[in-house]
Amino acid sequence: METAVNAVIGALVLSSMYILVALGFALLLSVVGVLNFAHGAIYMVGGYICYQFSVEFGLNQWLSLLLSVIIMGAFGLFLEKFCFRPFFGDMYGTIVMSIAIILVLETTVNLLVGVHIRSLPAFVPGILRAGAISLSAERLLTFIIGALLLLALTWFIRKARIGQQMLAVAQDVEGAALQGIEIHRISAIACAMGCSLAAVAGSLMGAIFELSPFMGDYMLVKAIQLVILGGIGSIGGVLAGGLIVGSLDAVLPLFASGALTQAIGLGIIIVLLLLRPQGLFGREVT
Amino acid sequence: MTEKQGQGKLPRIVIYTGLLAIVLSLPLFIQSRYLIHIFNLTLINIIAASSLRLIAVSGQLSLGHAGFMSIGAYTAGALAKHLGWTPWVTMPLGALATMAVAVIIGYPFARLRAIYFSMVSLFFGIGILAVNQVLEKFTGGYAGLIGISPLFSGSKVANYYFFVGLTVLSLCVLYRIEVCRIGTTLKAVAQSHVVASSVGINEAGYRVLALAVGCFFAGLAGAGYAHYNSVLSHSAFNLLASVNLLVYVLVGGVGSFAGPVIGTAVLIIIPELFRMLKGFVPFIFAAIMILVIFVMPQGLAGLPGQIGSWVEGLRQRKGTAHAP
Repeated sequence: METAVNAVIGALVLSSMYILVALGFALLLSVVGVLNFAHGAIYMVGGYICYQFSVEFGLNQWLSLLLSVIIMGAFGLFLEKFCFRPFFGDMYGTIVMSIAIILVLETTVNLLVGVHIRSLPAFVPGILRAGAISLSAERLLTFIIGALLLLALTWFIRKARIGQQMLAVAQDVEGAALQGIEIHRISAIACAMGCSLAAVAGSLMGAIFELSPFMGDYMLVKAIQLVILGGIGSIGGVLAGGLIVGSLDAVLPLFASGALTQAIGLGIIIVLLLLRPQGLFGREVT
Repeated sequence: MTEKQGQGKLPRIVIYTGLLAIVLSLPLFIQSRYLIHIFNLTLINIIAASSLRLIAVSGQLSLGHAGFMSIGAYTAGALAKHLGWTPWVTMPLGALATMAVAVIIGYPFARLRAIYFSMVSLFFGIGILAVNQVLEKFTGGYAGLIGISPLFSGSKVANYYFFVGLTVLSLCVLYRIEVCRIGTTLKAVAQSHVVASSVGINEAGYRVLALAVGCFFAGLAGAGYAHYNSVLSHSAFNLLASVNLLVYVLVGGVGSFAGPVIGTAVLIIIPELFRMLKGFVPFIFAAIMILVIFVMPQGLAGLPGQIGSWVEGLRQRKGTAHAP
């Protein structure tokens, strides 16, 4: 029973964090039109900034989280303005750019912090008990924060003015521009939001697991899995993809070991995609 | 493409012969075994990057190319180690095995277009690595496959000449494919699969063909690497390796046949010159990438043409300045 409950909680925690990173990735992909391979690296840097403020400088951990979010948001603005905008509509240019950004970020962190594995202290220490079941408060909190952010974000994109403008830009850049939407401003906001979300996820995951300069690579692959599985341009798709990938990751290790888990998980995703080439909820691309 | 039209046929042959002569005479001037080792790795990567470009020509950007290389490498390595076969048999077999896998997955994968193909090939590349770990008995798992019989034991220079030969042969075959009807058809498929299939081109078939030929050479490069290095570690073909191959192609210039060759050479050898910087070397790599995409939209291979047009522009401006 306890294993089952913990597996479900584990799946939900992983899913919510994957979804946070993947939503940022998806925002950049559909609104800015950039396949941002650096998103994993941004997630990693977000975690390290939070670590730096809270452990090295001794600030309040929640304040550090906020600072990390703000700094990465500003970094997102910088990225959009100086790295992605010059290559507007040039897929290859942005791919090379984002790989260069990964190199710069990972090498910088590696040189500054070293490969020693660091870990953030728990945001909320302690273990919750309910009858025979016990689970860490940290994980529950991570899930709650993730879920709240997702709700807020979904509301923002569906209902708020800027969110709807983002949807318009994602559908048709030129059409949106003709309607008087400032596409570069919207792109910049989307980029900043994407990077901030990655920073939140990086900080929260850094408290559950560990920080390492290369932790972003793993998360990047997960984010891509979610977005592609769900279908590009669909928020609901990202949520569904997140639940599928998170569940696979949380449940498969109960039955198989390490590499086999990974192989089976990827196999399932590849088969799902072969059955629906445009993703579960996506539209056809040409 | 355009700068080639400006030159006659003879000078081009002279240029290539000269280049080949320089490449062949390099070991006479360079004694350092380490440098020859770097050249060997460059040659292996040139084969892999050029084969990746053939797939890119058909409009499919593969992000799991190192995964395909690993199939060739582990097939050749396992055959040589467990059955004791000679490298001359295992290398072609490794390449053929990779091609077979490419054909098998090619048909279902041909359903996927553009970014979906790229991403599924990325998952495939990672998945293949995981499969390698699962088949621990044959591939050595995380410990790696050790003690693969070397091609020419002890001599880096003999290996160098072998890889020069292999690279030239592979490039000739790839070039021939690209300039003949198949290459033109592939470009048509890449430009518009709807139009291509409306004029009776078997779109899926050609995309599988490009994938199969590209993976054959990727497998060959992987098998060559296995016998050259005689050790296969599971990190040699990870996502970073696939991404690096893609970067070689894109920085060199995906639109030109020489692109991957130039890109690979520049991106491996120049960071190597700055080896004393140790941990900072990735910055050099990134700097080259950023410089190239900002200054040279056609990639490094487009540089001669670009310089030509700059000179032309300067001359014209001078001319107009003098005119009034």
